[in-house]
Amino acid sequence: MSSEREIEVGYLARVEGEGAMYLKLRGSTVEDLQFRIFEPPRFFEAFLRGRRFDEAPDITARICGICPVAYQTSAANALEHAAGVRVDGQLRALRRLLYCGEWIESHGLHVFFLHAPDFLGYESAIAMAADFPDQIELGLRLKKIGNELMTVVGGREIHPINFRVGGFYRAPHKAELAALIPDLEWALGAALDAVRWVAGFPFPDFERDYEFVALSLPDRYAIDEGRVVSSRGLDIAADEWPDHFEESHVPWSNALHARLRARGAYHVGPLARYALNSDRLTPAAARAAAEAGLGEACRNPFRSIVVRAVEIAFACEEALRIIAAYEPPPAPAVEVAPHGRVGHGVSEAPRGLLYHRYQIDGDGLIADAVIVPPTSQNQLSIEDDLRAYVPGRAELGDDELQWQLEQAIRNYDPCISCATHFLDLTVERS
Amino acid sequence: MTRLVIGLGSPFRGDDAAGLAVAGRVAGASRRLTGGYELMALWEGADEVVVVDAMRSGAPAGSVRRFDPHREPLPAATFVSSHAVGLAETVELARALGRLPARMVVYGIEAGHLRPGDGLSQEVAAAAVRVAAEIQGA
Repeated sequence: MSSEREIEVGYLARVEGEGAMYLKLRGSTVEDLQFRIFEPPRFFEAFLRGRRFDEAPDITARICGICPVAYQTSAANALEHAAGVRVDGQLRALRRLLYCGEWIESHGLHVFFLHAPDFLGYESAIAMAADFPDQIELGLRLKKIGNELMTVVGGREIHPINFRVGGFYRAPHKAELAALIPDLEWALGAALDAVRWVAGFPFPDFERDYEFVALSLPDRYAIDEGRVVSSRGLDIAADEWPDHFEESHVPWSNALHARLRARGAYHVGPLARYALNSDRLTPAAARAAAEAGLGEACRNPFRSIVVRAVEIAFACEEALRIIAAYEPPPAPAVEVAPHGRVGHGVSEAPRGLLYHRYQIDGDGLIADAVIVPPTSQNQLSIEDDLRAYVPGRAELGDDELQWQLEQAIRNYDPCISCATHFLDLTVERS
Repeated sequence: MTRLVIGLGSPFRGDDAAGLAVAGRVAGASRRLTGGYELMALWEGADEVVVVDAMRSGAPAGSVRRFDPHREPLPAATFVSSHAVGLAETVELARALGRLPARMVVYGIEAGHLRPGDGLSQEVAAAAVRVAAEIQGA
């Protein structure tokens, strides 16, 4: 049979930013597939030029209201690398603590409000709330606790104002952090419950042999720093990034497609982090992952919701550990002078690896900036998932197929706003 | 009885600041950037909540509409947010969770322009004064 059909989603719901999807089928063969990012380009890299180096964290934080700390951290890491300075000790721990807040808040939003409705058959969190009020309330409280952590360390829950290259403007007092402990202990318990809840969702039988790329550290689950490693042997420092990765433009997307020069598509985000670092999770998070049956690596992108819930538990546990060991640092920041140098920085945004590169002139002004957000890196992988998912399921009606394909995109928690620097679905069948 | 007045908007997007302008004229009012889910925590415990936001309904700039969320959902396409969650969605989630305030009024002030950086248009500035007076007189 060679009936032709098209499925087109003009505007994707429950994603951050504006995107669409187009699919053309002949029988069960995918003839054309486009994950279209039509959110207008934002030109951040261009308007960073000529600004002072120390403005980069605050300017790039504005790329995203969900993951500003990722932008601040990758920017600061790059500028510190340029200056040959390493931010260490309690300052590093505070940066990691702030980032834990962002993981809790961002994953909380995606697990409970954006992704869970897909598995439970609701069009939105609002529709789901009538039948699952306890889970929605739990999600709201988790998000709030993540935001509170960001407020205490970062000065503000969205676009933190206390973050700077070299550290912070003001280090928190011990008592300020200690006050967060009861909420974080509750959040840890809630996240462990959430792991059990989402692990019981119905998942399509679908796996892909991804090349996972994530940051890695020898002794901790990497968040705010690390080497860039992959499941196929890549192991590089941030400054080797341009040698191994490239970006290209395709006509149907305002976001650049990133690929490994050697092997093409790769996968960043929770599944990649888990596959490469699961043995370095904190104890309760590791037990929850094992009980949920995630194994050493999970290659079913639909189960990314389980890994996100595990990572919420990890972020709570890690935040509690950092707070317990916290002593205010002697100074809230170290001096960083990257004048006349180039620096590369990476960190693990909730959606995956975020790379920044800055070239600073002799006056300390930004001469050139490159920002590669996680959704740009996952675009090829998303399209490959859709291409692989359809053939066994071409008998599904348009509505059901469209639902499942949109869900396959939301597996990535894509942040289109970040990537344009996202989704309507069109399926065309023939 | 506790009453909370909340003005929503961005100070950097022209008439989007209409709600903020009203809140600036009402003692004790809260000024918020977005109408996201965190509003539910903000209005927890309040008996009456008044929210003022800019709207785009196609009416002339400065037109004012008064909505009672207990009578009907807010028109989602009218209260636009550049962020993932807007006021209309927060009201519906609160309704589903039984967390709508006992009394609630939403004022929509029709925006003229939403260009970055500009102040309020004359029509919206005048409407903000009228709405603030109505809230204080209530």
